[in-house]
Amino acid sequence: MLNYAASRIVQTVIVLLVISFIAFLLVANIGDPLAALLSADATVNERLELIAKLGLDQPLWTRFLHFIGNMLQGDFGFSYRTQDPVANLIAERLPATVELAFVSLLITIAVGVPAGIYCGVNPNSLFGRFIMLISTAGITLPNFVVGILLIAVFSVQLGLLPSFGRGTVVDLGFWKTGLLSVSGWRAILLPAATLSTFQVAFIIRMLRTQLMEVGQSEHIRFARARGLSEARIWYVYAIKNTLLPVITMLGLQLGNIIAFSVVTENVFAWPGLGSLFLQSIQGADIPVIAIYLIFVGLVFMVINLIVELLYPLIDARVLRRQT
Amino acid sequence: MITSTAPLLDVRDLTVTINRDGRLVTALDKVSFFVNPGEVLGIVGESGAGKSITGAAIIDLLVPPLKRTGGTITLAGTRLDQLSPKAMRSVRGGRIGFVFQDPMTSLNPVITIGQQLCDTIQAHLKLGGSQTKKRALDWLDRVGLPNPDVQFKRFPHQLSGGMRQRVVIALALCADPVLVIADEPTTALDVSVQAHILELLRDLHRESNVSMMLITHDLGVIAKMADRVAVLYAGRVAEISPVGELFSAPKHPYTRGLIRATPMPSATGEMRLDQIPGAMPGLGAVPPGCAFNPRCFRAQGDCRATIPPLHHEKSSAFSCFHPLERVTA
Repeated sequence: MLNYAASRIVQTVIVLLVISFIAFLLVANIGDPLAALLSADATVNERLELIAKLGLDQPLWTRFLHFIGNMLQGDFGFSYRTQDPVANLIAERLPATVELAFVSLLITIAVGVPAGIYCGVNPNSLFGRFIMLISTAGITLPNFVVGILLIAVFSVQLGLLPSFGRGTVVDLGFWKTGLLSVSGWRAILLPAATLSTFQVAFIIRMLRTQLMEVGQSEHIRFARARGLSEARIWYVYAIKNTLLPVITMLGLQLGNIIAFSVVTENVFAWPGLGSLFLQSIQGADIPVIAIYLIFVGLVFMVINLIVELLYPLIDARVLRRQT
Repeated sequence: MITSTAPLLDVRDLTVTINRDGRLVTALDKVSFFVNPGEVLGIVGESGAGKSITGAAIIDLLVPPLKRTGGTITLAGTRLDQLSPKAMRSVRGGRIGFVFQDPMTSLNPVITIGQQLCDTIQAHLKLGGSQTKKRALDWLDRVGLPNPDVQFKRFPHQLSGGMRQRVVIALALCADPVLVIADEPTTALDVSVQAHILELLRDLHRESNVSMMLITHDLGVIAKMADRVAVLYAGRVAEISPVGELFSAPKHPYTRGLIRATPMPSATGEMRLDQIPGAMPGLGAVPPGCAFNPRCFRAQGDCRATIPPLHHEKSSAFSCFHPLERVTA
């Protein structure tokens, strides 16, 4: 188990280094930081000074090590667009996105898992077919359409929920949360539901397929031949065999939402990372984009690492495949 | 002994059909046999003869589109074919244990051996937690696994094939069934392990006097284990005889063909091997009359016209119009 954990962590670090290098190349090769940072009437001396200060006269590898060293010390560079430290920009937007991602994950688990199990256990039931029909819509409808539909119904027609913003935000010092106020919860429901539409549909389909496949397997037949109750067979013996791919997908989807909820955030004017990313692309703000890329990589790798460290608890066979 | 007691399991006219695109095909055609208390009945036949279907049909565990469409199954006076699904569940594992063929696939890979045993015991016997565990450990010991405490916590992938099959046997027997159906219990194992598993089955059978239905295609296994043998061919019973009689004086030409197709050294040490010409008809392709008639050297007009009924004699039965005569040497 320790070997397994260590090898996973080493892999994670290596991948992060590679991502950082690619992001660094982006910063180093695209755009002209001097043009962005210097005023139009700067002297040649000022220019040389800045080159030396930014280390642009150093070889690539030295600059990369410097870049990594700075990051480890919490210095992520400055935005070309606003001149603010990139770290501040991201820290400001992070809570909104993370909260949105977790609420939508919660919805996904609370709705998708029971529905998926129901469809897998009763694939031919009327209700099961109905769920599958709805889930097809969930898979195919683009996020912005779902978002606009939800706004049209719940905000415009019924006037129940706000269509934009985060509501009242409580500042905890290190984290600005919208989850401690009623208006914050009301504001997060529609975007979270929008984001989870696809996830719910996806999890339902995946669980259903997995369960139907496991249900055919010889060990489930043997469990039946031993007279175990249907409840025990499905909810313990079969489900446990489907958990590995399900938690993998849930993890990846969580990463996806944190990193790429651009469209949904835009529809709901949600002040999160997605809109920061969009603004940075529009402004060709390379340092922010680069750090954002590394951050996304970090999010995915950490989630993946947690998921992989959970594997052996579910299926001890993964430890054997290691050796 | 055979006639004095009422049979434990009595199967009459068991019929199983398969729905193939709306066409009903008979997979098991009026199969009848019985198993006496404490007896081992071998069920033998080629692949596709309906051996496994017979076993699965008894505990109502046929895989759709296979479906039981007729006949009666009586276990110690209870009509199994009329039981509710819930009552049937308590029969499975509780009254009838089932040993599956392939130990690599029949154990749940993500649940410990001990948990699988305890769940099975608790499904049938009203025992407390510690009693259940004690019984599970006891069974691991009885099937010959060293260090039951250690095995209890292990997962199937940590055990060898032979050890897994021992676990499968423990799982089938741990709730004290009166009948065990073993479906090719040694087919998936190495030859050296096969002998150990057969020995274990025989020992357990002797200890507990549980009745057994041993499904196999291996006449060697039959000779070692069975008291009586039912020979199946194309979903029908060809012959049922006590094992000695079956080998020394088979009545059905198919039985003799099957015996002669098994490599066995003769008295002179010479290996004799005769194969039956042709192949067994597949599902839905059974010829009219006796299913064996196209391959039978004794076939005549009546064999092609009508299905021979099961003809009962003192201790045996066969379905053939022109049975082989006893060779009195």
